[in-house]
Amino acid sequence: MTEIMYMPVWLLPLLVFLPAAAIFKLMTGLRTRVDHQHISKNERDWSVPDMCEDNRSSFMHQWDVRFKITTIITYCFIISSLTHLASTITAIGISLILLIISKTAIKKVLFRILALTGFLSMLFMIMPFTVPIHPGDAIFVFGEMHWLQLNFRGLILASIIASKAIAIALLMEPLLSTAPLPVTLHGLSRLGFPEMLAQMILLSYRYLHVFSHEARRMSSAMIVRGFSKRTNLETLKTLANFLGMLFIRSFERTEAVFIAMKARGYKGRFPAPADLNLRATDIFITTIWIALGAALIIYDRIIL
Amino acid sequence: MHKIMTPLQHPAPTTHLFSAQKLGYRYPNSVVAINAIDLDITSGERIAIVGQNGSGKTTLINLLCGLLPPSTGNIYYKNKQLIDGFLDQSLLEIGVLFQNPDNQLFGHTVLEDVAFGLRQNGFSRKEADEKANLALKKVNLEKMAYKEPHNLSYGQKKRAALAGILAMQPAVLLLDEPTANLDPQQEEILLNLLKDFCGTIICISHDLIFLYEICERAVVLDQGRIQHSGTIHNLVSQNQLLRRYGLDFSFRLVDTSVSQCPEPSVLQKTVFTPSSSNTRDSQPIVSMHDYNYRYRDGTHALKGINLSIHEGERISIVGKNGAGKSTLLSCLIGLFQGEGKYFFTGKAMTAKHRRNLWRQIGMVFQDCADQLFCSSVQEEIEFGLKRLGHSRKECQAKVNQTLSMVRLEGFEKRVPLHLSGGERKRLALACVLAMEPKLLILDEPTAGLDPHGEEQLLEILKNLRVTLLLVSHDLFLVNKLTRRTLVIHQGQILKDLPVNVFMQDKSLCRLNGLSPTYRQRNSCTISVLQQKDNPHP
Repeated sequence: MTEIMYMPVWLLPLLVFLPAAAIFKLMTGLRTRVDHQHISKNERDWSVPDMCEDNRSSFMHQWDVRFKITTIITYCFIISSLTHLASTITAIGISLILLIISKTAIKKVLFRILALTGFLSMLFMIMPFTVPIHPGDAIFVFGEMHWLQLNFRGLILASIIASKAIAIALLMEPLLSTAPLPVTLHGLSRLGFPEMLAQMILLSYRYLHVFSHEARRMSSAMIVRGFSKRTNLETLKTLANFLGMLFIRSFERTEAVFIAMKARGYKGRFPAPADLNLRATDIFITTIWIALGAALIIYDRIIL
Repeated sequence: MHKIMTPLQHPAPTTHLFSAQKLGYRYPNSVVAINAIDLDITSGERIAIVGQNGSGKTTLINLLCGLLPPSTGNIYYKNKQLIDGFLDQSLLEIGVLFQNPDNQLFGHTVLEDVAFGLRQNGFSRKEADEKANLALKKVNLEKMAYKEPHNLSYGQKKRAALAGILAMQPAVLLLDEPTANLDPQQEEILLNLLKDFCGTIICISHDLIFLYEICERAVVLDQGRIQHSGTIHNLVSQNQLLRRYGLDFSFRLVDTSVSQCPEPSVLQKTVFTPSSSNTRDSQPIVSMHDYNYRYRDGTHALKGINLSIHEGERISIVGKNGAGKSTLLSCLIGLFQGEGKYFFTGKAMTAKHRRNLWRQIGMVFQDCADQLFCSSVQEEIEFGLKRLGHSRKECQAKVNQTLSMVRLEGFEKRVPLHLSGGERKRLALACVLAMEPKLLILDEPTAGLDPHGEEQLLEILKNLRVTLLLVSHDLFLVNKLTRRTLVIHQGQILKDLPVNVFMQDKSLCRLNGLSPTYRQRNSCTISVLQQKDNPHP
């Protein structure tokens, strides 16, 4: 039996604006936090690899990259199959613990969460008003506005989806930053991911920075000649020229990089960045992790 | 497998290391880049390949090392034709340093990049890393081994690229504009590394003073053909020969201790006529008081800048890479907002005013490719004019006027992307001049230009009547174009002094890495040689 509760109309703007303000506050807070993550005044010692530094090593750093990728991706699927809010919040808790253990940079984690916030907030705005009404749902009606019904189940569903997304996003940093990108991509190739695609990702990552510097310089050059974005044909034409020029320059760079690679003996394959050797500890960590996932499923499906 | 660690087996001096016979190359669009070249290079030779922009120098280098297949003729390396399996083997003995180091550093870290060639050659990771570390030590970058290449400075990138080649212990070094965009300090480091190299060097550069230091022989290329071959000593002493191929750099062979910048009163009358003569008593057009700028990561890029620029002044800013010169320019032009007082023509620069600074300040960027994005020269110049609100008729008049000023008459319909380096630089200048800025900022205006292009640009800049702010590592340019120098060091203006006083202060020049002694020595030697060859010019 559906339970309908009548609420005063003035509560509706509060219910919409308060969460929106809270989300806005959260986003600006996160942004400020990210901006104030200052780089240490003492530049790190670049003569030793990042992963070798004592304060950055953890079991995640030591774990064989093939097992790490397979296990974390499987675990992410387990998280996405959870159906109760309590189990998804537990998953967030587990992800946070792993985040602390793996000593990953909090700035990057905050960036990921920040990127998700806007999308997730939309779920909270829309789902409570749009989910189909099932028997037993608690429905809130504001004044005489029967056409606008807030379904409490929609709010719970949005929370479950958001918790799952956050739990998975938190795991991406330990997955990607506890091994150098070439090693992670090498691990992926060994798992059957096309090697050529892995090489392309690696080169794209390297040249993304060069590309963004180039785009920034070009954009500055346009601004100092009076360009400002407007909704008119002139702006579209200028942006098309800008993108076209970026494309031409990138295309020319691609050819130049390929020639430089050939000049140093490139024959279609990058050298393996690491030797991947299976150890007993890798199997042990994987077993523990999968068991953790199984426990979550049991908690979600049987206990709750 | 090529045995990198075995001592280099140089062929007997009589045999040619490289031999190009009737070598030709045609681009896919049928443009002939190299035309029937015959060239022999013996082992251990140090040879300079010179010529104007677009003469085919880079194509010749790519052909010599087998990276481009010749359209006609053949290339022989150690008396064997450079094809198939021998080409792969030879590439490991020939090291190529390309002009843009970003194109050459494709590794995730500097060490990984330097070890790339060795790993491709079959070395184990441990062996390759050991050799790569040794090469990095040679170029003084051992402390940057695990840094990502995009986080290196330009000079460091160039040295890292050289380390990647040196790690493979090549018999031949092919260098494409090795000193382009380097500050004098980095240039001297590179020069010493090249001097220590015991193999064959083939070097392309517009910088004949640098080439004079490392090369013995010079080959002049023009329109894809070899026009002259002889000793570099012989080439630099023949002023007329240099002029014929657009390589005359004698305008640079002047005493840098005497200011070369003309007084404002003797400047030609151009479209720019400042309303008042420059005087320190009048209101400055730029005034900064205790101006600071911090990057988002907290780095203090500008500290307590106090600066006044009066109308008609010609000022140079010098300092090492990373001293804060570009940040200061970005603040001046309104791209960055710092803390402190900034007045332009007496108005305090609030956020609203800052957005309109482009109307009064023009800037020519170091790499003019960043500045040119339209499909024709005319559109490119009209871009800023339209935003200033000029009518079509006014735009046309201004396009004609500025194109004639930068000597690009008749280029209206040309595509900027297809112009030569010198022409593009002049076009970038025209785009800014057309907007009649109160303050003109030039960032390394002659970088990458051949001597002819450089001379043309200098002539134009020398005769402009506009308040000028020049950022350059080139002491010749600083001396030629400006009368006042600001020395920036670690984000602060260390000195503000007349250019001739700055030029005579050797310690100040050295502090800013602007004291390449070999340049002064070579300039004097070449000057004497040219006078001997042509006593009555």
